[in-house]
Amino acid sequence: MLLEVKNVRKQYRRFDLDCSLQVQEGRIVGLIGKNGAGKSTTFKAILNLVIPDSGEIRIFGTDSRELDSELRQRIGVVLADSTFSNIMTVKQIADVMGRLYAKFDAEDFFRKCDRFQIPLRQKTKEFSTGMLARLKLLIATSYQADLLILDEPAAGLDVLAREEIMDLLREYMMEEHRSILISSHISSDLEKLCDEIYMIDQGRIILHEETDRILSDYGILKLDEAQFSGIEKQYLLRKQKEAYGVRCLTDARQFYLENYPGVLMEKGNIDDVISMMIQGERL
Amino acid sequence: MRFMIHNTSMQPIYEQLMDQIKTGIVEGTLRENDALPSVRALAKELRISALTVKKAYDALEAEGFVVTVHGKGSYIAGTDRGLVQEARRREVEELLESAIQKGKACGMTEEELREMWELMLE
Repeated sequence: MLLEVKNVRKQYRRFDLDCSLQVQEGRIVGLIGKNGAGKSTTFKAILNLVIPDSGEIRIFGTDSRELDSELRQRIGVVLADSTFSNIMTVKQIADVMGRLYAKFDAEDFFRKCDRFQIPLRQKTKEFSTGMLARLKLLIATSYQADLLILDEPAAGLDVLAREEIMDLLREYMMEEHRSILISSHISSDLEKLCDEIYMIDQGRIILHEETDRILSDYGILKLDEAQFSGIEKQYLLRKQKEAYGVRCLTDARQFYLENYPGVLMEKGNIDDVISMMIQGERL
Repeated sequence: MRFMIHNTSMQPIYEQLMDQIKTGIVEGTLRENDALPSVRALAKELRISALTVKKAYDALEAEGFVVTVHGKGSYIAGTDRGLVQEARRREVEELLESAIQKGKACGMTEEELREMWELMLE
């Protein structure tokens, strides 16, 4: 296990986090939730930027508070609100990186900057949002880290720029033994990237599932009242009243497709699943 | 071999992959010992989860169409095409059988079922 977050709690005045999650070797794991759901607090706890009230965080099997510099060099990080000083140029940043990280590969870094149209001799305060986001990710991936921890690495970007970021991550994963923990509030990005998804709401993990299972087994049933009262309910996870009757979330799409061929079934996507998990009633 | 994924189809993505590989074997575009793309490479190319690709490869291996050599990759196994055809036939048989059962369950006679069958074939 590259990363293990066990019952990590952090209490604020209006918010309380209680989170457990795991990242296995070779996996891309997504953390998804609304703004304010607890994604950033979780990331900051993992990185020791927030001290949890209780619980345990282990990275590469070591307590996160006891990581030495060698282990830290195996982690690549993008945080939403952190960057290098904006009066530095990319060249200067590369100098710093070379001193900080033993495995920093300047040549590869400059090549990627060129490919992603990042100017080397311009101060980063003149960069666009998209350029800054790409630069932050290029920095995080420039020293052969085994674990990437990426909090909203594509925030504020348009769809094409986000695709570019996601492709860069897919490339990074071509080396085995690497893992990524990534958060986003844009579910379609994670749907196409992640192997597993954790959904977080009000500081709690409300669902952990393989992306493949969500896409192939989850579904939304649209039923009128009569259909709803006649249907078997053991595989329905949530229900929600609608003008036409009842909307239900299932994790056994095939069961209902086979046994109730007449009912309206939509393929589940992460947005539907998360909104039903949060807003729907249990059965 | 090129793969194509239908993202809005009700058919699970791993099944779509399996079907395309089986079709490749039947049509002869995939032959014994041909290397399949690595799990991560195919996941990257199709923009799907690596677990989905792995699930497809594992299921194909269980059915005897693919051999995975640990640390090397996955290859097309030495199945003869007849076997694939046979497997497909069985799938069709199963589908027909479930259609017949469903028809009987809602009170259709054999005669009605046969009529429907003839009509659909036309």
